[in-house]
Amino acid sequence: MATEELPSEFDVVILGTGLAESVAAAAFSRVGQKVLHLDRRSYYAANWASFTFNALLTWIQQQQEEPQPQEVQDWSSLLEEGEELIYLSQSNSASIRNVQVFCFTSEEDEEEAPDTTEEEDSADPQVETEEEAEEASHKEGEEPEPPQPLPPPAQNQSEPEPPQTLPPPSQSQSEPEPPQTLLPPAQSQSEPEPPQTLPPPAQSEPEPPQTLPPPAQNQSEPESPQTLPPPAQNQSEPPQTLPPPAQSKKKISYAHLVREGRRFNIDLVSKLMFSRGSLVDLLIKSNVSRYAEFKNVTRILTYRQGRVEQVPCSRSDVFASRQLSVVEKRKLMRFLTSCAEETEEQRAYNGRPYLEFLSDQKLGDNLQHFLLHSIAMVTEATPTEQGLAATRHFLRCLGRYGNTPFLFPVYGLGEIPQCFCRMCAVFGGIYCLRHSVSCLLLDTHSNRCKAVIDSRGQRISCSHVVLEEGFVGAERKRSSTPPRFLSRAVLITDGSILPTDSEQQVSLVTVPPAAGGPAVKMVELSPSTMTCSAGTYLVHLTCPSVGSAHQDLSPLVTSMFRTPESPDHDGPSVLWCLFFNMADGSGVEAEGHDLPENVHLSSGPDAELGHEHAVRQAESIFQKILPEEEFCPPAPNPEDIIYDGDTGDTEGDTVNTGDTGDTDGDTGDTVNTGDTVNTGDTDGDTGDTVNTGDTMNTDGDKTSPGEEEERQAVSEE
Amino acid sequence: MAIRELKVCLLGDTGVGKSSIVCRFVQDHFDHNISPTIGASFLTKTVPSGNELHKFLIWDTAGQERFHSLAPMYYRGSAAAVIVYDITKLDSFQTLKRWVKELKEHGPEDIVVAIAGNKNDLGDIREVPMKEAKEFAESIAAIFIETSARNAVNVEELFQKISKQIPPLENHEDEISESFKLSRQPAVSTRRCC
Repeated sequence: MATEELPSEFDVVILGTGLAESVAAAAFSRVGQKVLHLDRRSYYAANWASFTFNALLTWIQQQQEEPQPQEVQDWSSLLEEGEELIYLSQSNSASIRNVQVFCFTSEEDEEEAPDTTEEEDSADPQVETEEEAEEASHKEGEEPEPPQPLPPPAQNQSEPEPPQTLPPPSQSQSEPEPPQTLLPPAQSQSEPEPPQTLPPPAQSEPEPPQTLPPPAQNQSEPESPQTLPPPAQNQSEPPQTLPPPAQSKKKISYAHLVREGRRFNIDLVSKLMFSRGSLVDLLIKSNVSRYAEFKNVTRILTYRQGRVEQVPCSRSDVFASRQLSVVEKRKLMRFLTSCAEETEEQRAYNGRPYLEFLSDQKLGDNLQHFLLHSIAMVTEATPTEQGLAATRHFLRCLGRYGNTPFLFPVYGLGEIPQCFCRMCAVFGGIYCLRHSVSCLLLDTHSNRCKAVIDSRGQRISCSHVVLEEGFVGAERKRSSTPPRFLSRAVLITDGSILPTDSEQQVSLVTVPPAAGGPAVKMVELSPSTMTCSAGTYLVHLTCPSVGSAHQDLSPLVTSMFRTPESPDHDGPSVLWCLFFNMADGSGVEAEGHDLPENVHLSSGPDAELGHEHAVRQAESIFQKILPEEEFCPPAPNPEDIIYDGDTGDTEGDTVNTGDTGDTDGDTGDTVNTGDTVNTGDTDGDTGDTVNTGDTMNTDGDKTSPGEEEERQAVSEE
Repeated sequence: MAIRELKVCLLGDTGVGKSSIVCRFVQDHFDHNISPTIGASFLTKTVPSGNELHKFLIWDTAGQERFHSLAPMYYRGSAAAVIVYDITKLDSFQTLKRWVKELKEHGPEDIVVAIAGNKNDLGDIREVPMKEAKEFAESIAAIFIETSARNAVNVEELFQKISKQIPPLENHEDEISESFKLSRQPAVSTRRCC
């Protein structure tokens, strides 16, 4: 693991490992460009990243820290004649703001901790950082100084809300109430819990979160309502230990979340993949899909009039639906069928609101709500043609993989940029995290960037640079003013908002705009997606920002879940939640920045549910630089790579790639289609590193007749 | 016989012979100048194991280890990991512990770990005593073997040992995880029936 120096010549240098940059990296590398892909962060995927619970706590801490004063190093000594430097911004922080964290569950387990020895050993390093995180926040809590990074204090006054940043540290000082002291002693004895897992605050105050709740209750009823969904347990404290059946219903503690932290993969963005959207098409076309696995989103729900309902969207849903009357079913089916093609009648509504079109169809309130908010997912003001286009897209995506139009990657969305990065690496791209570029080196004659200078002062020449927009100071960027943000909330809950027999539902919940606010998209993930631990659900909420994320989303959280503010709610309890705002990537213009022409800007996630924006951006950057080349042609199948040992040439010309590029391994490894293509030197830096021949059809749904015959012949053998 | 796909990821410093080991195993071929990057997402080889066939999908680091930038997705769903060091380079053995730690952090919990001391054909310039390596492997309950990708020594054996340690398939497992890969096959299969 020795630290080497980076090579000093590349075709394309890419900064940032978000989706757009990663797709671009794979695309360039795939056609033989030498790519250097850097990120100043210690993790992949930038604002598209997903984190374990513990890593997320570290991330939160980083966001809450004051941005370090930037020491701009002077690299002008590296300049030659006719060169100028453009310094890049070195702080990550501009894109994330208003980070607020609340823990609504008890600090420690309320009964004997399960055996977790293994976990502890392995989680060691992370736990340490975690402790630091908590120590830090603990301090923050103690010092009531105004310059504190983020809102908790402010909020505290304006809202009746408990201010616990990370682990409720403040409580221990402010309220040493008696009720809890009864509990802890019993617990602490019964818990042979190794101290490493438990963050410091835990020891100082082993009390459950009951400290937080709305003042009134606090005194009168110690804790039962808000903390424990099964009220029985808490009051009858001792019996807890006995009944094994009740165990699964045991309140999950913060300590438990930390201990199980590795099972979480918490995405910073919340999106879904349309099963015929551009990301899925690209994954398939490029064969990057083989690096990841997917789950179907199993149902679409909507929240209205204070209730969560399932939206019937496929034919079978419609027939199975119990909420729809027979007449409604018929109307809905007729409407969906008629949508498929554009009609004169529809055209007459062009430019007029989709809502108007829907209401003229006399569908009734139910159906109208479903069609507008959950299927088209547009607003009441959206013009009819757009509403219909969205509806058609939805319908086209239905049934390709499952009963809803959406897919979700196992282990979270953060996998997808990593998959593209791997494809880039497989074709020779060089990866270096925790490494940044300090400045661009401008050739004053040509007004092109001819090199970059990295954070260690190494000069790296390149023909093109792709920059995540966060690297560019506001003065050089052309973006929407004021900058747009997304509001995000991440909740860890103890149950599904619409429980069914299956505990493995993956749900999209559409929440129509309320009180002038924006529509909220909510995704509820079950442990089957490998994004949360057993017994928990991970809930993501997203909307365009109006105020801070907390202002925008916490009322909805309170109305849909049990929290200290809604202690009597019979829905699932929120155990822990995070609010933050993230810059909206769609606010950055594609063109018109004050940058050399060979420097290309990419942006972070946008507010849409799908991934169209990032894929489009990557493709347009690619085409600007290499208009003649194919964007992400399929990588060869592993089975088709043949090591050609007979050449006697030691120059590493050992790769032949076959040309089937299809069927993703399901023909087994005995298959080798005849006409393999020799690809020449693998160490050459020209565009021909690997060539997949020509029969691969990129469309994915069609195969050329010749290829089809060939494959049949193979399978018959 | 049922075919079981098993993902195996390779770890270890640049230049210890990770790719050569795979190349020897999969293609029975050794190239002195194997390029670090060969355009292969992973390589596959199927070997019988008991009453199953194990199809190894062997993932190489694709050079992402060079600047300590392996992505967590690299480890996802791995049934086994082979950590390779070079017996002629003490450094490469000393970093083994970091790879083990990294694996513990990012890898699946039940992963089978094998440690391979490669280049054992170069015994005369050996820097890592076999005993020491063996003891270390035992301390972390890992398979240990010295290999030579060049001379085809113990490469097959390495994967056989891994095969033996893979726990038998539990049936209910696949019901729970209905995750799937995206591919073109739906269209293909419909065409086939006509």
